[in-house]
Amino acid sequence: MNNLEKIKAVKNRSTLYSNIREFFNEKKYLEVDTPSLSTTLIPEATIDNFATQFSSDFYPNKELYMIPSPEIFMKQLISEGFSSIYQFSKCFRNSEQLGKQHNIEFSMLEYYSIHMDEQDSIELTQEMILKTHLKETPSWALPPFKKMSVNEAMIKYANLDLDNNQKQSQLYKKALDLGITSINRYESWESTFNRIFLTFVEPNLPQDKPLILYDYPKQIDCLATNKKSAPYKKRWEMYIGGLEIANCYDELKDEEKIKEYYRKEYSTIIRERSNTNRVIPDIDDNFYSILKKAPQTSGVAIGMDRLLMSQMNIDNIEGVILFPFSDMMR
Amino acid sequence: MIKAGQIERGTALLIKGQPFVCIEREFVNPGKGSAFVRLKLKNPGTGQILAETMKTQDNAEEITVDDRDCQYLYNDGDSFHMMLTDTYEQLETPMENFPDFEYLMKDGETYRCTFWGDQLLDIQIPSKVVYLVAEAEEAIKGDTVQGATKYVVTETGLKVRCPIFIKKGEKIRINTDTREYLERVNS
Repeated sequence: MNNLEKIKAVKNRSTLYSNIREFFNEKKYLEVDTPSLSTTLIPEATIDNFATQFSSDFYPNKELYMIPSPEIFMKQLISEGFSSIYQFSKCFRNSEQLGKQHNIEFSMLEYYSIHMDEQDSIELTQEMILKTHLKETPSWALPPFKKMSVNEAMIKYANLDLDNNQKQSQLYKKALDLGITSINRYESWESTFNRIFLTFVEPNLPQDKPLILYDYPKQIDCLATNKKSAPYKKRWEMYIGGLEIANCYDELKDEEKIKEYYRKEYSTIIRERSNTNRVIPDIDDNFYSILKKAPQTSGVAIGMDRLLMSQMNIDNIEGVILFPFSDMMR
Repeated sequence: MIKAGQIERGTALLIKGQPFVCIEREFVNPGKGSAFVRLKLKNPGTGQILAETMKTQDNAEEITVDDRDCQYLYNDGDSFHMMLTDTYEQLETPMENFPDFEYLMKDGETYRCTFWGDQLLDIQIPSKVVYLVAEAEEAIKGDTVQGATKYVVTETGLKVRCPIFIKKGEKIRINTDTREYLERVNS
């Protein structure tokens, strides 16, 4: 970026943040500020973490982790009786992937709405973008949103109905029929699904308007509730211009299910990261019951750098970040 | 065997008995999913393009290839004509297999080329190359805005954006992967 581009990116970010603060403040959401360093994390096998060390002459040393999302603290606030809350925070994801869409440190907007489900969050997010966007935003990055279920997208772009392919053996056969060669007979349903989705569906998703892709397969583990009548979770992702920008859940509160998620996810982390230099974070056994008494809540996380990219019509994350990590590495 | 995450542009793989060269690689992370690479692979012999999405931890069969020096002679609009410098043997390869390479290769210059048997899989262009500026617009007088740029055309016909102070006849270094101007070269 040259100086003019830098100043423009900084001003636009400042405008967008202040518009969003005004939007949520008007709706009586409370802005919160939670730590970037944590002694435990919610286990997520697909996210690599950063660890550091607390060292002191007066206390025992302790390993600390940079948060990959403020979720762990914001859910705690909800459980303590806070009403709807939002936060802008810095998040950290350790990974080999540097590129046009990734920076290891990035800015996230998270908002948790009580007495709302993931469908209500679609409306809220649409209203938020409509009321807060930059003047220069191209029309493809503005509401009205398009909506499509994951299965509709699979049928449309891969000619594959997930309802009838719930078994790994069925999905494996479909993937072969589609011409995917790099597939492993014994991999998980989720892995095969992702191969098909990333090869045939994601690159073809409509880009003329923001797209909400909803009802993700239940086989993809996460802290969203299951739908009662179909093998999907109450979760959506928002794509703008083909880039994944937001993720939303109807938040799981069931203690046993959260415990089960922790157990599965943590065993994957241990299996994949033992004997490597990847960080194995500590987890908190008290977290399972944390939302037990909380009201129904829906949480949305938006990648602010990517949202800014869409509104400024820039296709490289380094065009909106002042000191990109890849520059520091040079 | 190599891990799919290590595949780069130019990596040669054997897929169902056919050689493929990676022409595009993009890392993708589905929400709540593990890391994948989306690859565009090309069979240089048949021109067949394959879109593959692999987990970065997947194994891929890398093929052993030989690097040999080839002198670039000329192109006739359809094919590049090159000569192996060790045997003086001439070879032809369709230009469409190496899109836009005519703007990067200099006549008479020798390039490392990757062969699988006698099949040419890749022409290795160094990532930083000095080119002569063949055409340059005159800078607009009084245009002193910091960071102002203009287009110039190199001896090979490559059009690049560069700072306004670059003149015709000067030499500039270019990143051939991104096709971006790097610096002026004094000679």
